[in-house]
Amino acid sequence: MKTIWFHLMPYPDLPDDFTSEHRSVWVDIDPSLFDPVVGHRMYNEYIDELEFAAAVGFDGVGINEHHSNAYGLMPSPNLIAASLARSCPDAALVVLGDSVALYNPPIRVAEEFAMLDCISGGRLVAGFPVGTPMDTLYAYGNNPATLRERYHEGVELILRAWTSDEVFSFNGKYSKLRYVNCWPRPVQSPHPPVWIPGGGSIDTWEWCAQTGYSYLYLSYFGYKAALNTMRGFWDRVESAGRPRNPYQAGFAQFFGVADSEKEAIELYREPAEYFFNRCLHVYPGFADPPGYKTLATVRHGAEGMVERAAREAAERAAAATRKADRKKAMQSFSAASHMTFEQMVEKGYVIVGSPDQVAERTVEMARQLNIGHVMSLCHFGNMSRDLAMHNTELMASKVLPQISHLWDDEWEDHWWPKPLAERVAPHRP
Amino acid sequence: MTTRGERPGSELEVVVTGSGPRVGYLHGFVCEPSGQPFLAALAGHGLEVVAPSLPGFGGTPPVDDIRGIHDWVWHLSDIVDRSGLAGRPVVASSVGAMLALELASLRPEAFSSLVLIGPLGLWDDDDPVTDPFSTTLGNQRALLTSDPSVTASFFDDPSDLAPERAVERTVRRYTARTASASLVWPLPEFGLAQRIGRVRVPVTLVWGADDRIVSPRYADRFARHLDVRDSIVVEGAGHLAEWDSPAVVAELAARAMRKQLADD
Repeated sequence: MKTIWFHLMPYPDLPDDFTSEHRSVWVDIDPSLFDPVVGHRMYNEYIDELEFAAAVGFDGVGINEHHSNAYGLMPSPNLIAASLARSCPDAALVVLGDSVALYNPPIRVAEEFAMLDCISGGRLVAGFPVGTPMDTLYAYGNNPATLRERYHEGVELILRAWTSDEVFSFNGKYSKLRYVNCWPRPVQSPHPPVWIPGGGSIDTWEWCAQTGYSYLYLSYFGYKAALNTMRGFWDRVESAGRPRNPYQAGFAQFFGVADSEKEAIELYREPAEYFFNRCLHVYPGFADPPGYKTLATVRHGAEGMVERAAREAAERAAAATRKADRKKAMQSFSAASHMTFEQMVEKGYVIVGSPDQVAERTVEMARQLNIGHVMSLCHFGNMSRDLAMHNTELMASKVLPQISHLWDDEWEDHWWPKPLAERVAPHRP
Repeated sequence: MTTRGERPGSELEVVVTGSGPRVGYLHGFVCEPSGQPFLAALAGHGLEVVAPSLPGFGGTPPVDDIRGIHDWVWHLSDIVDRSGLAGRPVVASSVGAMLALELASLRPEAFSSLVLIGPLGLWDDDDPVTDPFSTTLGNQRALLTSDPSVTASFFDDPSDLAPERAVERTVRRYTARTASASLVWPLPEFGLAQRIGRVRVPVTLVWGADDRIVSPRYADRFARHLDVRDSIVVEGAGHLAEWDSPAVVAELAARAMRKQLADD
């Protein structure tokens, strides 16, 4: 099993009264809350943490893209990845990724990812998320009715740009280019492995199942709540006639490791409560703009609701159950923002404990979800750099050795980068 | 009445009510022709009311080839021709009014006169139009009309609805809301200010006094560019004034259109 050290880069100084005095951490968060001096410290410390994770043995370092968001301060993950490509000489660069529909034309993604693959000597994982409604529709003004079509067209353009042996014209609905000629081209052939981060859209499951791309379920709500989603994905993989190779899937999980469970609870309570109670304070009105979900997902959700309503009819009014999947997700956001740390641990949002306990639960998680890629969040909330590194070091030295061999005898990872054997090392004057 | 066109995406749903001189109605954010008292109220003034549904609204499927305002306008142009509304007086509400103005700016003979209810299409940075979609569904519904219960035929399902029909209604509602969002995203200004002066037909402006989407103050902005014969604010009505006050708005609209028909 591969473990990627994944960073969201949350703003660490949201005020104590944030949830009572502010509507949302995302989209319309008060600009005056951002202190650039804190930003200077934060970015440098966060890059330190990623570099440290690569140095102590994580298989990869992971980053992603958000906009107008205080818990995810990477509007441009490629900037961070460029820095890591030089400072982390061996780890995979897992960029999850560039929200394709936000780049006009999307050939920009093909070019920048190719640059990263060249600089790193073929260590890039190319993530192509549709992106959240907060990022794509509200912060960047994409039209919900055309977002997914624009996204799929962009991915098609990028893959053709990477693999075509000739200059070609691209007459898309949204991108029209007389000359497509991606210089540079990626090191990996035919292109870097493609991972698709998703939040539960059945069209994304179907697409990954059909194309063979790796599906990443980026939930913050723990593996126990992810079982249904991953079951849906694997059902479609089987229907597509593909094997249930766990490396075709990944999952994001928060970890807190200490010498004992008691110590772990003491150490990680504050940053976890900061993240779940403050950073996930998202205004529900941004969660479900019409058109963001596909009709297939709406229908799937409505059918599920009808079935559930029938089961629960004796207990409560059916109308109360008529909620869509996205709304449920936002309810999770809302519910999480009022949780105690004990509840977060009990629900599996955060796996905390001694190294042995964390390893045991991680293996249980990986087996239940059938995943080969773990996006481990060892920094969360307002965690200090020292604590993040302590957590990371314990994870690397005492947990990874117990979990990394899972699947070794059973499956091959076809979704991992294939770097050059001989790579140029940075020259330090 | 639903007719199917020859090419994909050209399905047309038209509700025809009443008899008399033919007039049209172009819906706004909410389209539920079979459950809209305004159509009957308007027909009650001795008019044949022809109410087509825009693509994605009512019972029509979404149309994949709509990329922007240009596509919406040519679809409306087709709909006007196919539903027999070309050259007729038309009442148009909200996003329907915006599209009617866009079409009239390009095709002067499309309508003989317009009654515009809370039209969108202009933008003032100091008085921005409300984003009706950055809110919960319940709040959104409350933004549209002064009394949210008047749009129950669209938003609510009957309690005895069969499960399969409930699923279909959910999908239909979502499709219509998607079409609505696509018409105003990210904000409802697509250059109408440059073209609106080309609209030559007589216009009556109707605004709900409680319009929480586009303020009645916008009436003056539209009036600067149009041949406005009358401008009326309806007390107690919201953005979709014809849903809040169907009888009052029908009377205002019928009077304006009958006058225009008599003048013609």
